[in-house]
Amino acid sequence: MPDVDFFNFWRWTLAIIGGVYATVITLQSLWGWYAYLAGSDRFIGLARRYIIVHGLRLRFTSFWGDVIICVLLTVAFFMLWQAHGILFEIESIIRNGR
Amino acid sequence: MGANPVNPQMKMLPPVGGGQASSVPATGSATGSATGSATGVIGSTAPARQLSELPRDELEHLAEEYGLDPTRYKHRQHLVAALHERRQLIASMDREAMLDVIRWGRRPVTVNATKEQIAQEIARIKTMRFDGLSQRGLIVLARLRGVQISDNEPVPSCIKRLKKQEGIFQRINRKRRAMIGQIVSNIIGESESQSDYQFLPPPGGVAGPAAPAHPTSSATIKHEIEESGLFGGIAGRIKKSADSYVNQKLDEIEARIDRKLDEIDRRLAEWRDKEIANRIRILKITLWASVIVAAFSLIYAYVKVYFWPH
Repeated sequence: MPDVDFFNFWRWTLAIIGGVYATVITLQSLWGWYAYLAGSDRFIGLARRYIIVHGLRLRFTSFWGDVIICVLLTVAFFMLWQAHGILFEIESIIRNGR
Repeated sequence: MGANPVNPQMKMLPPVGGGQASSVPATGSATGSATGSATGVIGSTAPARQLSELPRDELEHLAEEYGLDPTRYKHRQHLVAALHERRQLIASMDREAMLDVIRWGRRPVTVNATKEQIAQEIARIKTMRFDGLSQRGLIVLARLRGVQISDNEPVPSCIKRLKKQEGIFQRINRKRRAMIGQIVSNIIGESESQSDYQFLPPPGGVAGPAAPAHPTSSATIKHEIEESGLFGGIAGRIKKSADSYVNQKLDEIEARIDRKLDEIDRRLAEWRDKEIANRIRILKITLWASVIVAAFSLIYAYVKVYFWPH
């Protein structure tokens, strides 16, 4: 009888499906934008420069609060991940010790 | 200008025998000899077709544009020769001197116009009032009006020769028109107002090709009638008023378009900020969910390892 940790199973399944989905959608969107903006048409050139200008006009201060929260949450997530690893190692030691 | 390479497309007249070459009548030869030492001058613009291939009516039209009187040339070849000579004369002229005439005559040209374009505009100036024109400008004007004149001719002498060249009947007509213009001006009560001369914007420049090409002339009705006659002067004034109205409307439309573009830009910036804020919020919610689930999972793993080990 295989020892299946359902919580772990659920977590890995969600991470793989969600990760793959998000990656595919993001790459697809990026490729679409790249193909659109790589055109040599005069108006596409204009749009390209306009987007660059808009990007340069963007101010970090408008979103800095949310961005900092996101960074902290990411750090917390990786710390929890590491804690999981340590716990699993302890479990392995206990099991092997018996 | 003399440093320009010889234009291979500009073909001179075919040899027609010794007699004919010297029988080219007055205007062209007069202007040609006036250039004197500036020989070896080359045409400034490559013609799309050879002059000698053009039909008579086109040649006449071209001659008028260059300030030549086509009725003075009985034979087609004489006209072609005169046109060649006129183009060589134009090419030999000082561009700055030509621009002096343009500024003085307030003709509409772009700052980078070619010498031939400038000469064509100068040829349209018919006024005999030379106040404010520089000496070099007077020389250019005189040469384009077919007066033989040297490079260092003094101003009074230039004016005297130009007036002499006008002819008695033309002068009488001009005086008559000036009188009518004076009467009309008195009736209308117009005052003279001189603004600074401005060149037209270059085509495809900042203003774009659709920029209004309005003449910058600010001549009074009196002067206009003196130059073009009663009806011509009044028609010119009406046309100018219409042009001014159209230009004003075009400016208004342009300003409205600019305002709209600014508004579109502002809305786009707002949309961009809102979109980025939304994306960051979604990311934040996802991270919160991940961290909470991870914490919950950690507690579960801790309990499993320490309290219910297998």
